[in-house]
Order: sequence, then C-alpha cells, then structure tokens
Amino acid sequence: MKKCVFENLIDDYLLNRLSEGQKEKFEEHYFNCAFCFKEMTERAELISVVKSQGTHLFKGIYSRKEAKKSSWIEDLFAFLTPKQWATAAISAVLVVIVALGIISIRNTSTHRFFINDELVRGESITLISPVIDMKSMPSQFRWKSLGKDVEYKIYLYNHELLWSTTTKNNYITLPEDIKNLMTSGEKYSWQVKAFSPNGTLIAVSSLVQFMISSEQ
Amino acid sequence: MKEKYSVPDIKDIISKFKPIISFRVMRSLGTQRPDWEDVVNEIVTNIIVKLKKGEFRGDSSIGTFIYTITSRRIVDFIRQKNKVLKYAPEPEPFPAPYEYIEKKERVDLISEAIKKLRPKHKEVLYYYYYEELTREEIAEKLGLSPRKVTDLIIYARNALKKFI
Repeated sequence: MKKCVFENLIDDYLLNRLSEGQKEKFEEHYFNCAFCFKEMTERAELISVVKSQGTHLFKGIYSRKEAKKSSWIEDLFAFLTPKQWATAAISAVLVVIVALGIISIRNTSTHRFFINDELVRGESITLISPVIDMKSMPSQFRWKSLGKDVEYKIYLYNHELLWSTTTKNNYITLPEDIKNLMTSGEKYSWQVKAFSPNGTLIAVSSLVQFMISSEQ
Repeated sequence: MKEKYSVPDIKDIISKFKPIISFRVMRSLGTQRPDWEDVVNEIVTNIIVKLKKGEFRGDSSIGTFIYTITSRRIVDFIRQKNKVLKYAPEPEPFPAPYEYIEKKERVDLISEAIKKLRPKHKEVLYYYYYEELTREEIAEKLGLSPRKVTDLIIYARNALKKFI
C-alpha cells in the first residue's frame, strides 16, 4: 500500500493536537484514504493499549520518573549551583546574626518588670538601703538614680500601705511621725516607682522586705 | 444527472464505510455515550436512502459525500444534546481498550509486542504516546535531535507491526 502525505497528521489527530480546521480536513481525508484509515486504526489501538497499560508496560521508565518526582530535595539542590548555595548560606547566617543583635539590643534597652503580677516593659530601680534586717530604725531610704527629671514615688508597707511620698532625689528621709509608727520585730517592705515629667511610669523596683531586730 | 446505486453497490459502500463512520462518531461523541451506535445506524440508514434516491451527484468523492452526512449528523446530535454549540466539543479522553479493540487477544498481542521492544524504542513510545510529549520535547529530554526521535518512533512502530 502506498504511503500518504497526510500520514504525519495521524498521531496529532489521535492526540488532539490539530486545530479545528486541520482536524476537519484530516477527517474528510480519511474517509477517502484507505491507507490513512488503516494506519490510524492501528495507531489508535496502540495508543489505547499504551494509555491503559502504560504503568505496567513501561514499569522501569515510569518508576524512574516517579522516583525522580519524589526526590524533591535533589530538585531543590539542582535549583542553584554550589557557589550560589554557599552565598545564600552566608547571607542567611549574616541575617540571623543581625536579627539576634537587634533582639539583644532591644532586650537590654527595654526591661520588663512586674506590677501586681502583670508584666510591664521598662527599667528596674535598684534599691540600696534598707535591703536587709536592720538593728536600728532606718532614717533614710536610698536607691539608684535613673537620672534627671525623674520623679520617684516611695511606698512603705507593713500589712498595708503605711506611708507614701514623692521626691526628685534618689533618697528620702523618713519623717519622725512615721518612724514612731514602726516597731522592732515587725516586717516592713518598701518599693520605689519612677515617673517621667509627663507622669508616665518608667521604672519600678522590686518589693524589698526588711525587719528591725527586737534588740532595739 | 442523478446516479442511482443498485442494492449490491450500496452494500459494498456501507461495508467499506461503516467502520470509518463508527470511528468518526466514537471520537466525536465518545463511547461513554450509550447512543453512539444509534447515531451510526441513523447515518448509515440516511446514506442508504440518499444513495437510493440518487442524491449523490458525483460532484465530490463518495468518501466526501459520506463524510459530510456523518459530520452533519454528529453536529446535529451534539446540538440537540447541548442546545448551544458552535463547534463540536473537545474529544473525550482517549477511550479505554476494547473500545477501539474488540478482542482481548488483540490487546494482549500488542502488549506483548511492546514488551519485546528495545529499551530506547520503548522509552520513546512511552514519552510520545503515554506522556504525549512532542518530538521536540522528547529530543530535549533524551539529548537527541528531533529527527532522531522521529526515526526511533517510526522504527518502534514498524517493529511492533512485525511482532504483531
């Protein structure tokens, strides 16, 4: 049987690759060409078997392809050259270092403290005296200064708030009338809070407990 | 001048063209549609009537005459089913075996023949018919020229014909 010039359209027709016009032309052709129709039916059979049993018939090729699909790590590594990967890794390390540096700076500049079990961001005030049990009644309370333009509020407690006052110094002298209220052998605690000129709370000390020994 | 066909002539024409009509209808409607065989029978009946009435004038080939009747009936059928349709729909996915191939023995024969092919021929057939890659895509994948891929496909098909 003689070959036909339309033969090269058979696969494209069967695999739906022809345009509408080409398809109609080829369909009209195979109504008139015994060779193309016979060849087409044979290839249709072949494609039908390949499509339905391909995974079984081409087991080796198919499984290789599937394995390749699943090895996404290989694909990922193939995405960049080793040199590009090295550059990317160094850049990533630098980014991490910078990020950690920023975090640590933020942490040192903004302290956190607790007020009534609530976490508050800000500096803490270090109390200097009294912080341990005293042999005599303390006449002065002292803490570390936070600089100028800071107003401190001091609180003195026994079971409840005993006394409170404000000062711009980093110390306060206990008034005599309050001193007289304090008795030896009893536990007291004190705390200092710092405020900015506009009244914003900027720092708090811990609540420190002390006791005047009963020998007094 | 109308040419009327005799009954024996019409029988010959129908036996020659019925497989072609069936193939065309199957591809257009899909074998999932249960009435595709009814459509083929309607077309065949219509052709017989027209040939008997002498409606084939010989302006075109008998193949083109039958192709035209077949295509019009397919389009009418699809229009009836889908109401509005400019063109015939995209063909359905490639039918399963036993739709083009009636006998299981034939499927087994083709399968066995494929298994006997050389690895490089099998690989090309896999990419070409299973993956539906173009010759150029296969060439790029396998590091060959498109011409070489075409040769391998032709060789593989010819080898299959010999095995079958």
